[in-house]
Amino acid sequence: MLVEKYKSEIESLLARYPVRRSALIPLLYLAQRETGYITEAAMIEIAGILKLTPPQVYETVTFYTMLNLKQVGTFHIQVCKSLMCALVGSDTLIGWIQTRLGIGPGETTPDGAFTLSTVECLAACGTGPMMQINDDYYERLTEEKLDRILSDLKSTGSSALKTGPFMWPEPLAPKGETSVR
Amino acid sequence: MPKHEPILLKNMSQPGYTGTLAEYEKTGGYQALKKIFGKVSPADVTQLVIKSGLRGRGGAGFPTGVKWGFLPKDYQGPRYLCCNADESEPGTFKDRQLIERDPHQILEGIVLTCYAIGAETAYIYIRGEFVLGARILEEAIGEARRVGYIGKNIQGTGLTVEVWVHRGAGAYICGEETALLESLEGKRGLPRVKPPFPATHGLYNKPTVVNNVETLANLPHIINRGPEWFAAIGSPPKSTGTRIFCVSGHVKRPGNYEVPMGITFRELIYEHAGGMRSDKPLKAFIPGGASAPFLTPDHLDVKMDFESVAAAGSMLGSGGVTIMEEGTSMVWAALRLMEFFYHESCGKCSPCREGSSWLVQTMRRIVAKRGRAQDLETLTDLCKNIAGRTVCAFGDAEVAPIMSTLKHWRPEYIALIHEAEVSNLLRPQPAAARH
Amino acid sequence: MSDTTTGTVRLTIDGIEITVPKDTLVIEAARRVGVMIPHFCYHPKLKPDANCRMCLVEIEKMPKLQTSCSTVATDGMSVRTATTVVNDAHKSVLEFILANHPLDCPVCDQGGKCDLQDFSHEYTATGSRFIETKRVFQKEYFSPVIETEMNRCVQCLRCVRYCDEVMDVKALAPAGRGTMTEIKAFGPHPLDCEFCGGCVQICPVGAITSRLSMYEYRPWMLKRVDTICQYCGDGCQITVQTKDNQLIEVNSSYGAGRNNGDLCARGFFGFHATSHPDRLTKPLIRRNGVLVETTWEEALEYTAQQISRLKQTHGADAFGGLVSSRCTNEDLYLFQKFMRLVIGTNNLDSSARYGHINAVQAMRRVQGTHRWTVTFEDIVDADVLLLVGTSITETNPVAGLRVKEAVKKRQARLFTIEATEPGIDSISNITNLSQQHVGVPTAQFGDALLGLLKAVVDGRHIDPAMQNRSSAYVASLSEALGKLNWTDIEAATGTARDSFLEMAGAIAQERRVVVLAGQDILRSAGGYGACLTLLDLLVLTGKLTEPGCGLAALAEENNDQGAVEMGAVAELLPGALSAAAADTRATLARAWKAELPSAPGATLKEMIDKARAGQLKAMVVVGENPVGSLPAHMDVAGALRSLELLICQELFLTETAVLAHVVLPAAAPPEKTGTWTNEEGHVQAIRPAIEPAGESRADWEILSVLSMLLGTPSAYGESKEVLKEIRSVIPGYGLLGPAPTPPKVDPAAVERYVTGDYRQDLAPRYTLAPRRPKAEGAAWLMRLTQSLFHSGKLSTRAKGLLQLEERAVLRMNRAEAGRLGIADGDRVRVSNPRGELTTTVKLVERVPPGTVWFPDHFAQQASELFDCTIDPVTKVPTFRTASVSIVKVG
Repeated sequence: MLVEKYKSEIESLLARYPVRRSALIPLLYLAQRETGYITEAAMIEIAGILKLTPPQVYETVTFYTMLNLKQVGTFHIQVCKSLMCALVGSDTLIGWIQTRLGIGPGETTPDGAFTLSTVECLAACGTGPMMQINDDYYERLTEEKLDRILSDLKSTGSSALKTGPFMWPEPLAPKGETSVR
Repeated sequence: MPKHEPILLKNMSQPGYTGTLAEYEKTGGYQALKKIFGKVSPADVTQLVIKSGLRGRGGAGFPTGVKWGFLPKDYQGPRYLCCNADESEPGTFKDRQLIERDPHQILEGIVLTCYAIGAETAYIYIRGEFVLGARILEEAIGEARRVGYIGKNIQGTGLTVEVWVHRGAGAYICGEETALLESLEGKRGLPRVKPPFPATHGLYNKPTVVNNVETLANLPHIINRGPEWFAAIGSPPKSTGTRIFCVSGHVKRPGNYEVPMGITFRELIYEHAGGMRSDKPLKAFIPGGASAPFLTPDHLDVKMDFESVAAAGSMLGSGGVTIMEEGTSMVWAALRLMEFFYHESCGKCSPCREGSSWLVQTMRRIVAKRGRAQDLETLTDLCKNIAGRTVCAFGDAEVAPIMSTLKHWRPEYIALIHEAEVSNLLRPQPAAARH
Repeated sequence: MSDTTTGTVRLTIDGIEITVPKDTLVIEAARRVGVMIPHFCYHPKLKPDANCRMCLVEIEKMPKLQTSCSTVATDGMSVRTATTVVNDAHKSVLEFILANHPLDCPVCDQGGKCDLQDFSHEYTATGSRFIETKRVFQKEYFSPVIETEMNRCVQCLRCVRYCDEVMDVKALAPAGRGTMTEIKAFGPHPLDCEFCGGCVQICPVGAITSRLSMYEYRPWMLKRVDTICQYCGDGCQITVQTKDNQLIEVNSSYGAGRNNGDLCARGFFGFHATSHPDRLTKPLIRRNGVLVETTWEEALEYTAQQISRLKQTHGADAFGGLVSSRCTNEDLYLFQKFMRLVIGTNNLDSSARYGHINAVQAMRRVQGTHRWTVTFEDIVDADVLLLVGTSITETNPVAGLRVKEAVKKRQARLFTIEATEPGIDSISNITNLSQQHVGVPTAQFGDALLGLLKAVVDGRHIDPAMQNRSSAYVASLSEALGKLNWTDIEAATGTARDSFLEMAGAIAQERRVVVLAGQDILRSAGGYGACLTLLDLLVLTGKLTEPGCGLAALAEENNDQGAVEMGAVAELLPGALSAAAADTRATLARAWKAELPSAPGATLKEMIDKARAGQLKAMVVVGENPVGSLPAHMDVAGALRSLELLICQELFLTETAVLAHVVLPAAAPPEKTGTWTNEEGHVQAIRPAIEPAGESRADWEILSVLSMLLGTPSAYGESKEVLKEIRSVIPGYGLLGPAPTPPKVDPAAVERYVTGDYRQDLAPRYTLAPRRPKAEGAAWLMRLTQSLFHSGKLSTRAKGLLQLEERAVLRMNRAEAGRLGIADGDRVRVSNPRGELTTTVKLVERVPPGTVWFPDHFAQQASELFDCTIDPVTKVPTFRTASVSIVKVG
């Protein structure tokens, strides 16, 4: 039950808004953080907290791309396929991932580690082709970088190749140091 | 051409700048409020902003001060400021840089705006994918709150401004101001019927101003250095100040470039962004994000200000400039953008909802060499029936790629359809039906 | 020129000039000049959504086409609705909608009454150039009585908006985005809502249809009859549609009747009660202890003989009569005439005795009218609404819609005193909308009212004029209230003094105040007294005689008000005039040209007691089922068995009819003409939609023939003639048609009340209820409650309603059940010294902790548990609460 586990966080979220319903998406993120996707029980509980009906919560969940109603893999690979990334090779990137992991867009590896999705513009058009895996961006990808990222994730669960804070062209390096990347 | 001194990107261009409060203060940050509080009334601040000629940097380009002026004067209840950080227009990535690299610049702009419009609460609606950005903003707000730059009794002035970060959850349409408000209210992000406008019936039906991140980031500078200074930059009187243009596509140095408005596309592409990435010449470019009609090499000398680009048949929009080299299929490019619009259509109004599905399927067929002769007329007709008939500007946006590529590169469409017809002729015919 | 004083604007539509009130939408203005602008998503009951884009028009000086449903008419506006550009726009919108619309017309129930079909016919070319793939939704089971076929949906969202804005249920969700948006309930779960049928009615295409009549007809095959719903006291106008004498469907046209076209589950899905196979079709007579079929001649002659014999032997007062408030005014009038004139006794009663008589007697006493002094429109226009013991959504759902409209659209202030808690369930909960809610058990309603009155005094909200004119009355009440202390009131009601003060202040200061009292309070032990106290509230605050103010007592059965007005109760004559007063008796005697019995008559329970004691020898029971309705310990069956003659006129062989000597088959409301008077006092005509089942006959006809057989001429050829007599007996009565003006408060009655009549029962009324300690081991309070899906027992014959609620479940508070380890669907045994019952539990939010609810309509099963008290003045029996203990069983 979310209320028991996240009582203070929920209270502080509710306090931000004069109308309870505004806390819906933040609470849904909370539920998704907990189980990887939004369960029916979570929707019913959130409806109770916000004094909504479960259908009202459900209709909001289905509108937004980032709220999952079904389980996704441990690492959700979201590759941008909008025009600007496509111009610089996002389709090729998708192909590389398909080859390495054996899954296509919308599919999950049998061990549940990786899910591949194609998504729309992630606001990294100048640094494409790129992808978002869970919370992190990975930009200016090459085949080698992709390999390294996937193996990093498989072994340690995170990769140093994640990008951000964003600035492109690169920020000037402090005097005497080499450029950041 | 002398490289212009950056304004918005200035701090982050300094080596080692990481955007903390202390660093921001060192560069003169958080002084603007002290300059005006008690000396310049909120109404006069609005006048200042009008005088500066600042126009919205999100895409619509509406004069910011004028928008602030629409709030009801004698209304007593709460007012809200929503910072539109839902940067989702394909080709645009400037707000992300501003957020992740210099968050306090935006926060200071928010406080100043709240002072001018009489709002005590501001929500930064940031797209859900910007997880890092949201975290950086939350930390910055925490820093600012701790020293009293945000919250109650700011800098001893008695002014209250609460700022909250509100993450979206993946919907391009929530960048439309009324859809943003709906989403902030916890509902599906469907745009509202206008009128009434957010200025009178906004968040929770209260007077609200929605401003883009970059627009707000300009505020400290306008206050600190004066509207005249700002108005002298760029292409006065209609397009003042700088803009951060996002260059992407087939150029040597894609990225964000802050330049005064009024430079030509040629300058931006060839001088700032290093020109084409290979020996293939430029074939086409989009001047202002996916919603802007495509332009041709003939338009390279158009000035990058609102009026000039509109006169050229497109729009400056979000400032996302995408370059396509020779060899790029324009039909394919239009299809890619149509896929985007089809995926992001909220579904509220019939022309956009059904139209986007129809258009994308027709385009897929044409690109897959299964097009038919009548498809072009159908496409044109459908686009004409969508534009201007929808609840929000999404309808006009979604037909821009197809309309503009049909206009400038019709032969490519015809060629694909011809290929389809030929392959159809060559395909073995089914046996004639027996009667 | 806009007239700012009266608020109008003048505009031109297709060259026709029209003046309309400010804030009128262009589409509405067009309608007024006879121009119908095509639209899907617009509906006058809903906030404009402007999503279908079908209503685009050209407006001078506006560059783009504008949606007329969201554009407010302004002065000097010039609108063109039929130019080439506009027509092309209509065509294009239709083309877009038809792109994904399946070619379902041959199998779609909406065919023939479909907006999409109609507009396509008017605007579109016959061919389609859409050669892509239509989006497909897999058909899913949606609910037992409502069907969805999402491929047909045009995403106008009228269903969602109606369910939200009008019904406040919010059970429908547009799920998904873009073209893949479909209307669902909660995920894959079937729809769980009020099943009012509103979404079915408002869907412009065949995306949401009724399963009850699926595939049964084409609209042009149906005969349509406008009549009134037979269930509750709201008196909604329905259109009954039949084919080949079969009941097919019921709906209600926009703007029709007192209900404005809105219905509830009972009205929309409950019409099959009439065509249940168990309907009695032939008269029955008891031969050798068994009921066998016979002819009307034999049945009626036998009845007449027996009545004569028993009357000669034992006298008129050995007879008793019971009639149902579901009967028409004509039935009721002739029934009481039969009992009083033909038999010669005042021993007669109707089901108005179960609660409605409490309200009517209180109104007669204080304000001198037997009808409301307000209407549904006054409820919508009210500034303050006080709901007391109404359970309005379950009992009077359409009156509830007026309350919701007042609160949601006009920002009326709502205060509730209910035995319900706020909470979100699958049906709407009016207390969710209230500004102040007092949640108390029914036994404490009186205490809550005393708190409110005390707040009027303490908060200095007594009307100054009242203070001057009736200072003794004001002083008496103030003194009595002064004896109560706030600590006790707060403890009894669980509500703080400040809440009462806020309510009292609003009631006193706002202009239009309407108080609604419903079944929970009218059927509780202090029902009559509570109505008097509510009237005291209106009197004290000076509101009783103000326009737009008054007491609105909601009625449970459709003609409860008519029963009282027709004199179908022991103490009242037609016109709700006192049977005890010699002059009113004399007037009626003159009209009937005969003597009237003067001995006061026995009421419901008194007749049962007399029957058991052998003082009553015969009873005529028309449509009533006291064996099924009254608690077991009263042994009504035993009492009736001791009768020498029991005549039942009935639709079904009920628990009472099964004991009768003669059972006469009665025609059901959809089979006859007549009038009903709804709770507002509006007399509305009912019209037959089908032939009477088998050999059944209208009640008034049967009584008329019986009268003749008993020697009293009573030749009424049609029910119209009965109505004519009613009109002559009760002058000024029964104007049919649009709502007549409600009666005004009679100043003489008020004067009589405040100058001394109030003293009769002031002390007991102004005393807090004794706090009864909980019985040993009986930790729960069990209540018989009304279900939204049923009405009395009649609705349990309707197959549509049985699909929504087919048996009784015990409703318990979700959180409390959780704490006690009881889950949804668990079996429990409910018991007290009187009896026991095993049933299933259903968890809901609104049941107050410590209480469980059992639906009245299946109460025969729980009948052992309740005992019965009688109001000393109004003789209303109360038997709806009991203390019980509850144990989970395996």
